[in-house]
Amino acid sequence: MRKWIPDRTTLFLIGVALALAVVAWSQGGAEKTLEGLANGGRTLLSVTPLLLAAFLLAGLVQALVSREVIERWLGSQSGWRGVLLACLAGALIPGGPYVYYPLAGALLHSGAGIGALVAFVTAKNLWSVTRLPFEFALLGTQLTLIRYGLTLVIPPLLGMLAEALFGRSIDRIREAVG
Amino acid sequence: MNQATLILIVLALGLLIYAWSRGDGSHRVGIVLGWSTLRRTLPLLVVAFVIVGYVNVLGPQNLVQNWIGPGSGWRGLLIGTGAGMLLPGGPYVVFPLIATLYQAGAGLGPTLAIITSWAALALLSVSFELPFLGWRFTLIRLSLGIVVPSLVGLVGQLLFGG
Repeated sequence: MRKWIPDRTTLFLIGVALALAVVAWSQGGAEKTLEGLANGGRTLLSVTPLLLAAFLLAGLVQALVSREVIERWLGSQSGWRGVLLACLAGALIPGGPYVYYPLAGALLHSGAGIGALVAFVTAKNLWSVTRLPFEFALLGTQLTLIRYGLTLVIPPLLGMLAEALFGRSIDRIREAVG
Repeated sequence: MNQATLILIVLALGLLIYAWSRGDGSHRVGIVLGWSTLRRTLPLLVVAFVIVGYVNVLGPQNLVQNWIGPGSGWRGLLIGTGAGMLLPGGPYVVFPLIATLYQAGAGLGPTLAIITSWAALALLSVSFELPFLGWRFTLIRLSLGIVVPSLVGLVGQLLFGG
């Protein structure tokens, strides 16, 4: 079996968990320390069906929306039209920052404007379709609906602002990244 | 089983049927991808829920309500923005923690600010951004977005905070 090597995020969170366990121990000894573990385990078990469905959903979106599809779709779009298309692309593209930033870099070199790029990254962050199931599952329907509703205008708005204010910086950005 | 579970299961099954009907094996690819993500993030998930358990048991209600409670105003929104920028990890780690804070008495406004700030301004993902888009782009994006979490929190609190 492959050895499991924890990444920095995991290590940091393990540190936080240990610190909390020490606080629990100092407050209520072994009983409170175990109570915390049991509480966490029960909470995890109660969201397990949700998590399974969320991971399945995220995997399916990943299988159906490939990087090639997005790249072909956006191509060298710039200007207002590019901003709106980039919002949709950002919402649909699955995966973490190690997936969408390289793609954004490729879009930059194929001629996408600054508005489209800001819109793409911001829509990925705020409209992400693959994140939606986790938000529903873990934060609840009410918070999720309010959050998505209130941030609906942000990606196109920031994209258009970026285009209007910094539209000319795009050549320098492209040169600097090389 | 609650509403959210049901909606998610129906959506997952719907998408599974659609993927299967395309006849290109993408339903199998999707299942494998979902399963491998789950396996990769399982340790992180367990640690996150241990933290959730301790926060629940230690009952930091006073602490949470003082700093980011419903009456914490601008300070709560700004703390929420800062906390969101610093939160590490993906949605399966961050959302349970935020839900625990919300249940411990965080206000709607600060909670929305944390979620929005983590989503849009997370500093950890900047390290992926710099090599592909450069510091000038990152600076433009962050400076345009920095007020967004507080605004979202403020509007949310006013409209739905009761």
